[in-house]
Amino acid sequence: MQTYKGRFEPTRFEDLTVTVDFRCHSACRFCIVQEGMNYFKGIPFELFQRAVDDNAKNRRYRRVTFTGGEITLEEKLFDYVAYARESGGFEEIRLQTNGRLLADSAYARSLVDAGVTEFFVSLHGHDAETQDYISQRSGSFDEAMAGMRNVVDLGACLMTNTVLITLNQDVLSKIVETVAPLAPSRMEFWNYLPMEDPGDERGLLAPMAELAPALRGALDGCAKHEIEVLVKYMPRCLLGDHGETLDNAQPDVVIVEEFYDIYPKFACLYEAKCEYAESCLGLTHAYIKKFGWDKELLVAYPRTTPWQEQEDGLIFGSDQPGFGTVGTPSSDSSREGAHQEWAALVEGVAEATGAVLTDLVLQRRSCTYRFEHGASRVDIVLEARDEDGPALVRTPSFNVHYRNAEGDQELLRQIVAGAVKSVEARDPGGMMLDLRKGPVGPDSVRRRPKRRLPVKTGD
Amino acid sequence: MFELAPATETDRYFDYCLEPYRPRRPWKGKLRSENLLFHSLTVGGAQDALTEPLRAIQGHVGRDLTVWGIKWDGAALFWELYFYDPQKEAPEATLSSITKAMAPYFTITPAIDEATPYVMASFDVRAENRGGSVDTVNLYLTGEEAHAGRSYSVSRGRSELENTYRFMPPKTEIDEVLSLLEASVFVDYKDPRTLSRVLIPELFACKKICVSKKRDRDAIYFSGIDVDQLLFFFERFSYPDELVGFVREQKESFEHLYFDVGVDYRRGPDGALEYPKTSYYGTL
Repeated sequence: MQTYKGRFEPTRFEDLTVTVDFRCHSACRFCIVQEGMNYFKGIPFELFQRAVDDNAKNRRYRRVTFTGGEITLEEKLFDYVAYARESGGFEEIRLQTNGRLLADSAYARSLVDAGVTEFFVSLHGHDAETQDYISQRSGSFDEAMAGMRNVVDLGACLMTNTVLITLNQDVLSKIVETVAPLAPSRMEFWNYLPMEDPGDERGLLAPMAELAPALRGALDGCAKHEIEVLVKYMPRCLLGDHGETLDNAQPDVVIVEEFYDIYPKFACLYEAKCEYAESCLGLTHAYIKKFGWDKELLVAYPRTTPWQEQEDGLIFGSDQPGFGTVGTPSSDSSREGAHQEWAALVEGVAEATGAVLTDLVLQRRSCTYRFEHGASRVDIVLEARDEDGPALVRTPSFNVHYRNAEGDQELLRQIVAGAVKSVEARDPGGMMLDLRKGPVGPDSVRRRPKRRLPVKTGD
Repeated sequence: MFELAPATETDRYFDYCLEPYRPRRPWKGKLRSENLLFHSLTVGGAQDALTEPLRAIQGHVGRDLTVWGIKWDGAALFWELYFYDPQKEAPEATLSSITKAMAPYFTITPAIDEATPYVMASFDVRAENRGGSVDTVNLYLTGEEAHAGRSYSVSRGRSELENTYRFMPPKTEIDEVLSLLEASVFVDYKDPRTLSRVLIPELFACKKICVSKKRDRDAIYFSGIDVDQLLFFFERFSYPDELVGFVREQKESFEHLYFDVGVDYRRGPDGALEYPKTSYYGTL
């Protein structure tokens, strides 16, 4: 039974992230798309437009983030920003960048003038020696610092991101002190995900016994400077007093689908015992293989609610007001329409069966309806129609099936039958689940350059 | 080759303890787990010798009611068949009855007193058994605790305790799992990485773990894994390419099933963990 610890499905509907292309002028040693660089293609403008147009209508997202590769290298970036701005569907437009080109104040100003409101700048060292070693580009630290100063001078929102690796675990507090004078809105610390080196061939995975105290020191520093913090992919129990800074939710990312084939999986020995099992991912499998389960180091916070295994992925992050025993509903009533067309597909099913529709979760690849009736529950799952894919029935737009069925068989049968019938009757065809689904297949990647054979020289 | 057996509406789904489960996905258009067994015979060179007796067992005991295990020692495949009758209510699943049913194919030589309170019986089969004999059978008896048991190997005139085992849900009973794993004379867990080579993170997301203590090794079984995890298991333990390729090609056809896998392990001569045998299970 794979839980979300096994299969991490990013989902947070406030943020849409778009990978414009995969080129970079740095070569960070921890890059998670090192092999995808210059190989994966970016998201075609038409696909981006479709997601933006949908958002203008349905208001799924508050923010669009452009990333790469290094986004500031892309000439077409301004087209993307302009389209997002003119759609009126986003409150914030963010760039995720190494910040180097922002050292050119005129360029930084042009981005702000174009509509970029937030700059999420990577900083992985406290000084030039450390940062330049990690980025494998001399001058990258000075450029990023100058870039961040320009962002601040322009009055835009500055955030930083530091990837936690063996190469910087000893200087995390110093990074905070380096950034603090710029008064960033937030500092984020993301533990390294070994996506392209599942055996940690790069030697970047830091042992928790060393990393966690160093990170706690950095978080103390942020607290001292009153800098908001966000931490990802760390066990919550190792964050000490900063447990609430853990946030593993992800934006919806429009990216080459192949990217997800190498997304790491997580596990924790104490999942069933810990209060935070639904929000803490634990350790990556790669980490466990390298360092063990850290069974003496990790600590389960006693649960106050019963733990329940979720088949095939945890559902969390539902942002639909009015739904949700899980997740935090949005307080913004302007977004209430986001899921209406999806809710309409099963309207009346709960009432007809005496069940309650407790959640509706739209994810990149599926729409899930959770029905509960006393101790019985079942999830009805819609996935994009695929003749070869699994399906209880196929409707014009979807493959429909169920999962997480627990409890009274007859009751479950009624709910499933009712939901299937309802979706069959109401699916108008052409409903899109995967507006954010990235390209797949040969068109999603560039041709690899052929290895040049040695030239034969004649005598 | 063999003809692929499609899943049907009358199929029942059991794990290797013959406990029923609900299929993970709709079964329509999918394949029965017995296809893994019959494919493995082709890979292991036992198709001619064992297809008939296995079909005979299926007909004798009833579809879905025999558990098969496919064993891999790193060099060769061999097979084990398991028959459950804990309530002594299925005369066709008794070892005496199976012995008679197999008589045209091989002789099962140990004579079992059916008054023995065994809940399950099993025996290994290899191609060379055809036309010959099976000289050892295994009887499984209830253990001292719930969800626990003991197995005895029975040869002509001799019975020996073979192993003890206990089933646990991995996550809610993690303390018990760890305690049992670490109580070992074959493996020391001083190096924290050792535990992750036994309690394999990719397989930890399962329905049930069984910890077994054998005569010269320990073993762990992960029950209720999906086909992706089965493929991981095959690669982790270097199963034959042909076998892995078949499951990979048919992956979607097996996604409605849960599988069970087992790993025998002990400290090798160089102090590193070694895996003398691994296995995976389904029903016939």
